[in-house]
Amino acid sequence: MLRFIAGRLIVVLSVGLTLSIVTFFLLNYVIDPAQAIAGEDALFEEIEQIREQYGFDRSITVRYFEWFSGIFQGDLGISYYWNKPVISLLIDRAPETITLALMSVSVTILISIPLGILAALNPNSLIDRIALGIAVTAQAVPNFWLGLIMILIFALAIPIFPVSGDKTFFHFVLPSIVLGASSVPAVMRLMRTGLLDVINADFIRTARSSGFYGWRLVFNHALRNALLPVVSVLAVQLGNKFGGSVITESVFAINGLGRLALESILGADIPTVQILVFVFAIIFLFFNLLADILNAYLDPRLRL
Amino acid sequence: MTDLLNIKNLEISFHSNNKNLKTVENFSINLNEKESLGIVGESGSGKTLSMLALTRLLPKQASVSSGSIIFQNRNLNELDNKNFYKEISGKKISMIFQEPMTALNPVHTIGKQLLATYLYHNNVSVEKGIERALEILDAVKLPKYKQRMDQYPHQLSGGQRQRVMIALALINNPSLLIADEPTTALDVTVQKEIIQLISDLRDTIGMALIFISHDLGVVSQISDNVVVMKNGEIIEKGKTLKVLEKPNHPYTQGLLDCLFKLEDEQKKDQISDTPIIKVKEISKSYKLPAKIFKKPEIIYAVKKVSFDVKFGETIAIVGESGSGKSTVAKIINGLINKDGGKVEIKGQNIEDIEISDRAKIIQPVFQDPYSTLNPIHTIGYIVSRPLTINENKSESEVKEEVIKTLRLVGLSKEYYNRFPNQLSGGQRQRVAIARAIILKPQILICDEPTSALDVTIQSQILDLLNDLKSKLNITIILISHDISVVKYFSDRIIVMYNGEIIEMGNTNNVINIPKDKYTKRLMSSVFSIKKNDIKLT
Repeated sequence: MLRFIAGRLIVVLSVGLTLSIVTFFLLNYVIDPAQAIAGEDALFEEIEQIREQYGFDRSITVRYFEWFSGIFQGDLGISYYWNKPVISLLIDRAPETITLALMSVSVTILISIPLGILAALNPNSLIDRIALGIAVTAQAVPNFWLGLIMILIFALAIPIFPVSGDKTFFHFVLPSIVLGASSVPAVMRLMRTGLLDVINADFIRTARSSGFYGWRLVFNHALRNALLPVVSVLAVQLGNKFGGSVITESVFAINGLGRLALESILGADIPTVQILVFVFAIIFLFFNLLADILNAYLDPRLRL
Repeated sequence: MTDLLNIKNLEISFHSNNKNLKTVENFSINLNEKESLGIVGESGSGKTLSMLALTRLLPKQASVSSGSIIFQNRNLNELDNKNFYKEISGKKISMIFQEPMTALNPVHTIGKQLLATYLYHNNVSVEKGIERALEILDAVKLPKYKQRMDQYPHQLSGGQRQRVMIALALINNPSLLIADEPTTALDVTVQKEIIQLISDLRDTIGMALIFISHDLGVVSQISDNVVVMKNGEIIEKGKTLKVLEKPNHPYTQGLLDCLFKLEDEQKKDQISDTPIIKVKEISKSYKLPAKIFKKPEIIYAVKKVSFDVKFGETIAIVGESGSGKSTVAKIINGLINKDGGKVEIKGQNIEDIEISDRAKIIQPVFQDPYSTLNPIHTIGYIVSRPLTINENKSESEVKEEVIKTLRLVGLSKEYYNRFPNQLSGGQRQRVAIARAIILKPQILICDEPTSALDVTIQSQILDLLNDLKSKLNITIILISHDISVVKYFSDRIIVMYNGEIIEMGNTNNVINIPKDKYTKRLMSSVFSIKKNDIKLT
């Protein structure tokens, strides 16, 4: 098990390293950082002065190593746009995004797992059809549109939840539903097919011949096998939620990392953007790793 | 002795599209305590279905439409599901199944599965449960049983898993064990051990046994009484020895004939001395996926195997699954590449023969006729393909040739426009053979050509192959794990074990005076009924 985790960790680290190189070089080639700081109307001399002042005249490789080694010392650079250390921006904004991501994945789990189980236990029944209907609809509806509709109905027509902001728990309810809904179809369908396969498996017949029946049969003997693929998809979805928060946070005016990313991009704030891209990627990798480990824990055949 | 189980006039129907289809009718059996009953029949005869009805494991589309089941003086029909599962399933009546590889839950340890079943039916402490689990694992003679509690099914071999399955079925000391083809999926050498084990445990526990099998030979070893089923009905029942000696129904007689025929000596055709195939030290290995910081492991499927096949000869390669016998066949056929060695066909290196020419010399027949025929094409099209690909013939010529070949394998020309799903297993295998011989090859490689078929069909297909062999002068390489088939059919035997040839020689010599230790074990594991063995007691 330890060897397995170590192996995966090596893969994650090397992907992370590659990513840091790609993001840094791409951003610093595409945008001239000195120009970005000086603004569009700046004179050539002003730009050159900034270039010298900030050290942009040095080679890009040197700057990369400076930036990359800085990360390990907690120095993520200073935002030109906000005039603050990037790290303090992250610390400021992260709680909102983490709350949103966790809540929206909870929404996904709460809707898709029970629905998937019910659909699998009653294939081709009314419940199954309704679940399929929900899945197809949720798949087809774009995030931002669902967000606006939710605001119209549950904030304006029937004012149960606040329209925008991130002050209280209730502020997060609508955005979590919107963000969580997008993952429902994939997870629910996977739960359904997975459980359906397992229920028809030989070892469930064995369990039935031993006298197990009903919910005990499903929960003690079938669910763990069926959850295997679901767990990995959920972990990936959780990673997605961090990246996917960009649109939802903007629609609901939540001051999280997603909104920070959008504002930094608009402000051509290279230090913040490159850290955010890197952080989102690392989060994604981390959840993938977590999925692998969870899967290995659930399925002994994967522990190599 | 007292009555344990009494089933009267059981009727099972399948419903589809508002139609009810009776699949089992008038099924009545009577079983005393500690008695053993064999149920014999081909696939689709209803033997498994009637037992699934008893254990309430019928598929959703099927249900019991009438009949009574009295078990230990209780009418089981009056029990609701909840009480049936709590009081009967796994406690009084247990069942073991054919496929041990998938019958255990892969994500739970052996110990956990045993414990769950025991604690579910018995109100005892976990310690007591573990004690009982160890006791039963010891009873089924699982090697190193103490360590197995924390192991997962995938860490065990097929035979070991079947032992765990038996332990799981017997942990609650049931009064009746139903074994549904428990050895069919296992290697022959393991088969005998498992049958012996079930028979021994039956004596020690004192339970009754219902043994379902398509193999009359196996059933005769283990059961006091036997029931023969065909098309959902019992056509014969009685004491096993009586039925074997004096079957009343022609179908039973037919089943016995098939068994006896395999016992009979075959007249062997003349074989020339010149080899048609020369296999020299061929090897095939596979690399296991590399792990970080470790050299990739190499597994040999075939290791330096050499032999000759003579013109007109039938040579059999036998061995258990994983012995490399199929790999050898695929290499000779050119279906997979070898790592080293040489295969010569009629003095020519196999790599030097054009694929289209090779197809005219050597053709395969595979095991599973259900998956080797493309379901979207007609029989005529399927059989014609080798001809249209490799030879330049007009449409009418091709059709004529196809119909001629179909007739040769015993199919009339009505089959030309049919689809594979309209054919039975035996007919499909005939089609597969027709496809193989349409190019008039000199060599046929038959990889377990009959093991997916019922016994009566098996002997028909073997007869067909024999017939074609003399008519068309074909050399046959037969891959099989079934010694009786091999004995009936082949001139020479090659025994393979772990990718190597361990014995080779004339069929009679190898079967009657095996030299190698493994061959001896293989030969002694064959169940056969010899005509003169049957005596009334």
